[in-house]
Amino acid sequence: MDTAAGLTLPRLEELEAPPLSLAQLFWRRFRRHRMALAGAVTLALLTLYSLGGSLFLTEAFANFTQTALRLQAPSASHPFGTDTIGRDILARTIYGGQISLLIGLAAMLVELVIGVGVGALAGYYGKVIDSLLMRITEAWLNIPALFLLLIMAKSFGGRIPDVQLLGRSFSGSVVAIILIIGLTSWMYLARIVRAEFLSLKEQDFVLAARATGTSDLSIILQHILPNSVAPIVVAATLSVGNAILTESYISFLGLGVQPPTATWGNMLEGAHGYIEQAPWLWIFPGTLILLTVLSINFIGDGLRDALDPRSRAI
Amino acid sequence: MGQYILRRVLQAIPLLFIISVVIFALMMSAGDPLATMGGRRATRPSDRARLARQLGLDKPLSTQYLYWLIGNDWDRLDLDGDGVAESPGRRLGVLRGDFGTSLVNRGRPALEVIWDRLPNTLLLMVPAEIVIVLGALLVGIYSALRQYSWLDHAMTALSFVGYSMPIFFVALLSMYLFAVLFRRWGLPYLPTVGMFEPTVGKTPLEVMRHMVLPVFSIATISLAGYSRYIRSTMLEVLSQDYIRTARAKGLPQREVVLIHALKNASLPIVTVVGLDLPFLLAGALVTESIFAWPGMGRLFIYHLERTDLPVVMGILLLISLAVVTFQLITDVAYAWLDPRIRYN
Amino acid sequence: MSPKHWRWISAVAAGGLFLSACAGQPTAAPTEAPPAEPTSPPAVEPTQAPVEKKVATFIFTQEFDNLNPYYSNMWFAAITQQFWDVWAWQYDEANTVYPVMVTEMPSIENGGISADGTVLTLNLRNDLTWSDGEPLTAQDFVFTYEMIVDPNNSVASAYPYDQEVASVVAPDDHTVVITFNAPFIPWAANLWQGLLPEHILRPVYEADGTLDNAEWNLAPTVGAGPFVFAEWESGSFARFVANEDYWLGRPKLDEIFIRFVPDDASQINALVAGDGDLGTFFAYSDVPTLQDAGVEVFTSQSGYNEGWFFFMGEEGHPALKDVRVRQAIAMGFDRASLVQDLLLGATKPAATYWDNSPYADPAVEPWPYDPLAAATLLDDAGWVDSNGDGTRDKDGVELVLTYGTTTREIRQDTQAVAQQQLAEIGVGLELVNFDSDLFFSSYGAGGPAATGQVDIMEYSDTTSFPDPDIYYWNCEEIPSAEAPEGANWSGLCDEELDALFTLELTQSDLAERTETFHQISRMIYEQVYWLGVWQDPDLFGVNERLTNVKISGVTPFFNIAEWDLQS
Repeated sequence: MDTAAGLTLPRLEELEAPPLSLAQLFWRRFRRHRMALAGAVTLALLTLYSLGGSLFLTEAFANFTQTALRLQAPSASHPFGTDTIGRDILARTIYGGQISLLIGLAAMLVELVIGVGVGALAGYYGKVIDSLLMRITEAWLNIPALFLLLIMAKSFGGRIPDVQLLGRSFSGSVVAIILIIGLTSWMYLARIVRAEFLSLKEQDFVLAARATGTSDLSIILQHILPNSVAPIVVAATLSVGNAILTESYISFLGLGVQPPTATWGNMLEGAHGYIEQAPWLWIFPGTLILLTVLSINFIGDGLRDALDPRSRAI
Repeated sequence: MGQYILRRVLQAIPLLFIISVVIFALMMSAGDPLATMGGRRATRPSDRARLARQLGLDKPLSTQYLYWLIGNDWDRLDLDGDGVAESPGRRLGVLRGDFGTSLVNRGRPALEVIWDRLPNTLLLMVPAEIVIVLGALLVGIYSALRQYSWLDHAMTALSFVGYSMPIFFVALLSMYLFAVLFRRWGLPYLPTVGMFEPTVGKTPLEVMRHMVLPVFSIATISLAGYSRYIRSTMLEVLSQDYIRTARAKGLPQREVVLIHALKNASLPIVTVVGLDLPFLLAGALVTESIFAWPGMGRLFIYHLERTDLPVVMGILLLISLAVVTFQLITDVAYAWLDPRIRYN
Repeated sequence: MSPKHWRWISAVAAGGLFLSACAGQPTAAPTEAPPAEPTSPPAVEPTQAPVEKKVATFIFTQEFDNLNPYYSNMWFAAITQQFWDVWAWQYDEANTVYPVMVTEMPSIENGGISADGTVLTLNLRNDLTWSDGEPLTAQDFVFTYEMIVDPNNSVASAYPYDQEVASVVAPDDHTVVITFNAPFIPWAANLWQGLLPEHILRPVYEADGTLDNAEWNLAPTVGAGPFVFAEWESGSFARFVANEDYWLGRPKLDEIFIRFVPDDASQINALVAGDGDLGTFFAYSDVPTLQDAGVEVFTSQSGYNEGWFFFMGEEGHPALKDVRVRQAIAMGFDRASLVQDLLLGATKPAATYWDNSPYADPAVEPWPYDPLAAATLLDDAGWVDSNGDGTRDKDGVELVLTYGTTTREIRQDTQAVAQQQLAEIGVGLELVNFDSDLFFSSYGAGGPAATGQVDIMEYSDTTSFPDPDIYYWNCEEIPSAEAPEGANWSGLCDEELDALFTLELTQSDLAERTETFHQISRMIYEQVYWLGVWQDPDLFGVNERLTNVKISGVTPFFNIAEWDLQS
């Protein structure tokens, strides 16, 4: 329409943007967070490195020891150098990445199941159940995590046999570590979920569902849980990074995944003894851990901004 | 307030009890302390049987826990293997302050073994805590005041990097830079092994020189994380109306920040100091292993590897007690600092 | 920020600094007597330089847990006993016994051993004294025996005093009479490895009812050796100073300074840099590094051999019960190349459990590497690859063996090599690793090796060196629910072998006993009850500054009083 001054203003229909779906909304807000985008790209590249690299170098090669070639500096035949018993570090970072990422994701799933379960039950039922579950959570929280992890790794570490999956053999300690990390990190998720449930269960839609006779389980799973997805997703994402870090800590101390299975953490074990002669022993796996966890943290930050309806507007 | 404290203390007791049961159960399946008592050889069967009797390891789990908790001086033990329990026990139990004797350093009370090393760990943790608090305050306040400046962006990025790094990576990097490379470049370099050079002796200067790298490693990650936290809290506080009023009134920036803003942002500082203990301990554990610092962390790993139950239980219990106490102090400090928080 | 808050924060900071300052004080050494302060004679004239103390620095990668000879079996504790608490008799660099506290080694000829072999009489020297001047008499021997067998003392090992010895009496101050239940042939290798001072410890025992908590255990300031304990700073170092009144003459060195380092790498660095004069228990792969730096590497035979123990019990893998399979495994594993590659040729493959002693049959050579013969043997035994998956099988059972050991790097490398090689002859190996205290747990504690969960167990072990006796293959030592402490983890019961072991324990004639052990070693070799992987001597790295150094396999520092330091 034309104004008196002769300017052309857009029409009202044109002013209104077409309604965006949730996914589009989310994506828009996510991509504004540049670091999160960078993190997502980096993480994708690292995953490609770990998975794709196995197409070029076999696992047998990663575990192949040639003591005569121990502690060699990076060269054409061994781009990342060799370790204390002559294994190629590049191949080990590839396969180590697979294990580290696997442990991160799997531990997150374990945490998710336990944490959401405990938090949902505590938050929904309240009173006695809540009190009991929160006592357990608090007890678990009060033991400093690393100490508890080490004790559990010592107790369960050697007892699980090797697992055969997809034609490859995984050391039993991998399964043990996944379970242990999951069992010691679910508390944070449980608290978040409980807080969400406590606030959501008084909402109208829940009361309505109850009035129509919907079962408790159905209310929890189909009504409340989908509405508390945002903080759960953020916490779960960050916990992947945390799991990878934790695994690297206990593997570094020698109680995590046992060689010859490589993980980024156990490649660093004992590296401080060779700090002068062979810095490549720890620079490569350490940097990879750093990049992975950094990307995950950025993504988590971006997700938090994108999913949280209370943060700044579009 | 007093009631609240009392209630929390009473709640802490069953908590510690549950913790001790859980750890005890885990340690029972962690390995056989008798297995390594043969030195380089497998322990002789006759010695195994005798030591199991003498150290009380042949009793069922529940009995062993009972003895650990309340001692065995009220019971009689069969020490000579003749089937007749005639010797009175000598242990008083944890509730009376006796944490048992170490199985590895046989004869030494577990508490003494731990107490020997505890000051060394405190020597790392307390300065680290001070560095974290002061550092996080400085970086956080500065970033908040200079929001969106390039320095702020740089510090944000650095702090992200800081708390994404595993501690041992920080330690290795700092070791490489300040010890190896500095020595190569002829600059004064820092030592990387132990608490002091035995030939020089345990002088304060020597210990401080050895402390620099470990403290730096422990502090970096927490510093990075908490500086962001303080930054965001300060930003929140600085956008409040009363700050704008204070500025409008013409108060100098320093007074505005230090007196008005910081006072209201002191809650996060309490969080930093009070709740950081578990992370500091984890940091100490890894750092002591790398720098061969004779502290409680290395002691824990050494005795865990040999399934030395009394020492491991002692360490865990002391640490849990410390964590619970610090949480309580933090809660009380919260209530004291923020009159809006009420406990009923 | 209000003054209240500033005060609070500064209080925390001050408290922290205060604690650090407190912790910075040197902790007092837990000694009964004040530690011997090193004094150097003051320079009287400006032209005379002060006498430098000769301090030898030893680097230990493990800190001893207890210095009482009977409360610790740790090797790093036992080897210090030659410093401050000598044995009744010790062994020289050829592992030949020589008397120290006794005037001569007892034998049937000189009446020291009775004709029926049950009574041992020791004649002590007249000039024995403890480092505080108190004479060392037969009463100390009797006291030591009493303390070892006392049920209130949780000693590390009471063998053989609890089982073989009937009584120990002292008819006079310089004679000790030991009566055995039955003739005990291996007495020389098992008795009087350290003396306890009665005049110090009896009061402690009477006051506490036990020696477990004695201060002397951790600070043995009274000893009978060439050096005297001075100081032990937990986690850092320990010091032993020369015993001026040592009854064999003052040692040449003034002080031994033992430094504890966290791991192998720092030990090697210290030795290479010259910060340490002696280091031990390092890996073979470090030997070239040390030799390049001018450090002399001593090898001493202490009877240890690294080998594979096979589980041949009822519930074990059926393949291992067939001697042909075991022989095939022996021939399919190239130990000679392994020793060349992983151990840099610093040692040799082991043939028998008694290598490097007169008790091994000299005609026995290690099994040769012959994969073709191995494959043939396996075919003959009925193990063929019927389903084409790469491993042999028979009657539906795959020939996949669990091969377990501890987590030491060299062992994990060996596992990788063995897996590759045995795969070539169709034998599959599943590799498992355990922490030492889990691996060596007893049957009663569910230990994986003891309960037969591991088909091939690898570790390094010896006999009651220098005595050749060993009980690992005795039928009665098979562990079970009734006998959970049993040490026969191979689950083997070979009547003939058992009879030979019973026989050797009764043979006092050395030639006869040696012949019996030749038969034993040959039988174990042919039946492959035990497969030797490599001989495992002890390694010592010694700086050229230290002279007169001789190392024994049994009592490593037997001539420590002679060692000297050249500047």
